[in-house]
Amino acid sequence: MKLHTEMRVNRITDEVWEIPISEKSGMLVPARIYATPTILQSMDAGVFEQVTNVACLPGIRRYALCMPDGHWGYGFPIGGVAAFDVRTGIISPGGVGYDVNCGMRLIRTNLTQKDVQPLLERLMTELFRRVPAGVGASGSVRLGRSSFEDVMVRGARWCIENGYGWPQDLEAMEERGCIGGADPSKVSDRAISRGINQLGTLGSGNHYLEVQVVASDRVFDQETASAWGITGHDQIVVMVHCGSRGFGHQVASDYLKVFEKAMRRYGISVKDQQLACAPFASVEGQDYFSAMNCAANTAFANRQVITHQIREAFAAVFGRSAEELGMELVYDVTHNIAKVERYPEGELVVHRKGSTRALGPGSPELPPRYRTTGQPVICGGSMETGSYLLAGTAGAVRDTFASTMHGSGRTMSRAQAKKAIRGEQVQKQMKQRGILVKAVSMSGLAEEAGFAYKDISEVVETVDRAGITKKVAELRPIGNIKG
Amino acid sequence: MSHSFRFLDDIATADLAFDASGDSLQELFHGATCAVIEAMADPSTVGSTWRKPVERTEEDPAELLFDWLSDLVYWKDADGVVFSTFKLTITCGDDGSWHLKGELCGESVNGLVQVLRNDVKGITKHMYQVSQEDMRWNARVVVDV
Repeated sequence: MKLHTEMRVNRITDEVWEIPISEKSGMLVPARIYATPTILQSMDAGVFEQVTNVACLPGIRRYALCMPDGHWGYGFPIGGVAAFDVRTGIISPGGVGYDVNCGMRLIRTNLTQKDVQPLLERLMTELFRRVPAGVGASGSVRLGRSSFEDVMVRGARWCIENGYGWPQDLEAMEERGCIGGADPSKVSDRAISRGINQLGTLGSGNHYLEVQVVASDRVFDQETASAWGITGHDQIVVMVHCGSRGFGHQVASDYLKVFEKAMRRYGISVKDQQLACAPFASVEGQDYFSAMNCAANTAFANRQVITHQIREAFAAVFGRSAEELGMELVYDVTHNIAKVERYPEGELVVHRKGSTRALGPGSPELPPRYRTTGQPVICGGSMETGSYLLAGTAGAVRDTFASTMHGSGRTMSRAQAKKAIRGEQVQKQMKQRGILVKAVSMSGLAEEAGFAYKDISEVVETVDRAGITKKVAELRPIGNIKG
Repeated sequence: MSHSFRFLDDIATADLAFDASGDSLQELFHGATCAVIEAMADPSTVGSTWRKPVERTEEDPAELLFDWLSDLVYWKDADGVVFSTFKLTITCGDDGSWHLKGELCGESVNGLVQVLRNDVKGITKHMYQVSQEDMRWNARVVVDV
């Protein structure tokens, strides 16, 4: 098998591959990659280099992991998972990602494709109008500094208290939409200036809002789907992919600078400048953790305000309230985060970067609603292919620090995609295939063409067969909004 | 005096990367600034109603460029603008520190008249380098979008 690495990669199972610690000086634990042979062969050299760099970080436990949607990232690979001892280990912005709490959200409806198709153009126009997207977009929520600090601390709870959602939404969010330990005094003025006007905005890049259809023959686990309000029968659902916008990015940038200096003081050396880190228990580590949690809570709030706007748009177009349309939240998951979680090794700081938490049935952290099914996992494909709803498993808790994939993962650079196709062509081709696209930037649309991404189905099959999540339903796009 | 930049195909799968160069440090700054501005929007479609005097000092020219390019991203978000033109001068002080002074021009984001591109989220240190070779300054920059 020809791989983009000279390192030895041992087969553990057909879906799990291991790079032993002998393959790179300084590795403290082996690296494990979840992939089929086909996916493994397609993975770029950065994945192998970066996952083994992560395996060298102080305090790492068990394995440095990479999920099948993995590709090159900053410091950690995208799709990377690593857990560090809270006493002896580190925390690294490179293991969280710049877009702190970038995540996915899925909203169900009682509508079917038959109800929506005649009004799809109007619906997408209304959504495009109400959910600001693209360069420099500012949201409809105007906040003073004090209110923005409340958002940092209270996350989605702030939104519910201020009329942007329903109380039951909170039960359908990881951490109930509010992570403890957020301290606005650890956030720079620069980050606040960047974020204060961005609440309720989608951003650009691979962020999107998508109207999707769930066909009955694409529901793989009827019982779990039903428990989550997914009925099939061409049901309409809405998916949102976005994060903490410029605010989270500034927090990450600020602390990378702090950590570059702190590493010298703590005698830490890393293989890549983007792996800058500090001991989790240090002042710098704790300050970053507090600031990162502010960004994480802001991202929950961002997706909550967008959800409010989506409900308003549907109500305006279909002439019925969002409650009558059954627009309950299925779930909201983060795929860029560091969290303290308990495992057999003790308390660990689990970094997930382009990776989703996947708690299995019976996990005490889950609200009763999800305790029998396992946690919903939402995975976005390219805008031209399907997305997936999965369920967490006990296997993930046992093998991968309760982590799984997050999307399909790019295989082609943005510059290459733009050379291959124009945004207008993408828009036209997608319309011919029944997908209506509204985009702020045509060049941005070209960059997101479906052929620039891996086949999400094979990625999903990998995690399903590896037993770290199970398939529940496939979601097919009919309308997409891009920044 | 000349400067140039080009976006790279094979680097930064999910983001944007560019090489910039100039026959002086000041020209390198011009090339890199043009690249970041172009990444956000077509500057020929952007007016100049927003103006910001800019000034920065750093000991290391690489850090000065990094912080300056990060400033562009900051003003884009903080003031909701994209950029059209700029003036920059780079000087070296008696103490060896590098000083940037100039003016950044642009206008509020308006997708109806401007050709908008990427919402650049930040400048990264991935593969970041500034070097001088054969009297020409070069930089490689990866931009997170």
